[in-house]
Amino acid sequence: MPPITGRNTPEPYNLRNFSVLLVEDSIYMQTLVSEMLRVFGVGDILTCANAKEATDLLTIAQARTTSRYINKIDILLTDWLMPNGNGKDLLNWVRTHDNDDIRFLPIIVISGFTTEKLTNDTRDLGANEILVKPISGKLLASRICSVIDSPRAFIDAPGFFGPDRRRQYFAFTGKDRRSAVPNLVEKNI
Amino acid sequence: MTDEPNNENPAINVYSHRQNPLKNKLGIRVPTNEDGHLDPENIKEADKLIAKMCLGCEDNIAQQLEKIADLWTDMQKAENTDIRNEKAQEIFTCTHEIKDIAALCGYTLAAHFAESLRDYISETALNLKNQRIIIQAHIDAMNAVHKGKLKEDGGPIADELKKMVKIAINKYR
Repeated sequence: MPPITGRNTPEPYNLRNFSVLLVEDSIYMQTLVSEMLRVFGVGDILTCANAKEATDLLTIAQARTTSRYINKIDILLTDWLMPNGNGKDLLNWVRTHDNDDIRFLPIIVISGFTTEKLTNDTRDLGANEILVKPISGKLLASRICSVIDSPRAFIDAPGFFGPDRRRQYFAFTGKDRRSAVPNLVEKNI
Repeated sequence: MTDEPNNENPAINVYSHRQNPLKNKLGIRVPTNEDGHLDPENIKEADKLIAKMCLGCEDNIAQQLEKIADLWTDMQKAENTDIRNEKAQEIFTCTHEIKDIAALCGYTLAAHFAESLRDYISETALNLKNQRIIIQAHIDAMNAVHKGKLKEDGGPIADELKKMVKIAINKYR
């Protein structure tokens, strides 16, 4: 039977033009995840071992005018627990940065911790997705597709900057007690 | 508590994307409002990579265990709290690495003990004899798991090892 290739079957994503920064201190995991990204067809894969190296690289990469040799990074994949600057430090740095190309960057946190606190912490620090280890091809692919397919609006509120923490919207029938109407800003990001 | 809005009116900005830059990078043939997918063959290939990496898993765990043993010896000799804490941090990193590798490659029991030691070492002061017994029990258990090449749950031996560590924790915590 011939393969189904009708108009309604979307083609698989081609990530050739994507540049992904992977921040992972374990050489073993760094090698594995970067190889998986390569198999997925990601065109440009950069790796760092800690938050400090990542911030240096992001500063150069996102200020595209200063370097012809590094592409602008599209997705940041970071481990949570690392010596010399961990995932929390990196999220804080990214989401409070002045440069829009940095602070709006999609971030996927990879972590071996599976606690509710970690999920809440990463969400409240502005991560787009969390990928809990052990990693698999399907899990990594689903998180990448999620940041591509569902770019949630960014919320800038006192004490928080990051993707909207609500993934579902329900009609609210109670009294509206919000003190301010959110200011809707369209952004070319 | 009042139903009246407060007058401070904190500024809340909602930034919506004028366009989806990541989807734009995929090319024009991709429908803009549909969820997409990666090539299933590539996903299978990625899983094969994991399986391939796992072939070297036992050696990698062995290296980490040797490192932990050395760090543990150094830590016990150290008289300075800062040095002890530094060694403890390094043990924490090694156990975290073992946990990741072992869980990835199906060594559930090794991952269990590594996680247990990692969590224990991160939440406790390390200058008491009793706590040292707990750490030693974890290291012995991990060595036994590794030497016995115990995968998955490990059966009755695993139960014995878990019991041994649990007794150490309950007795000396």
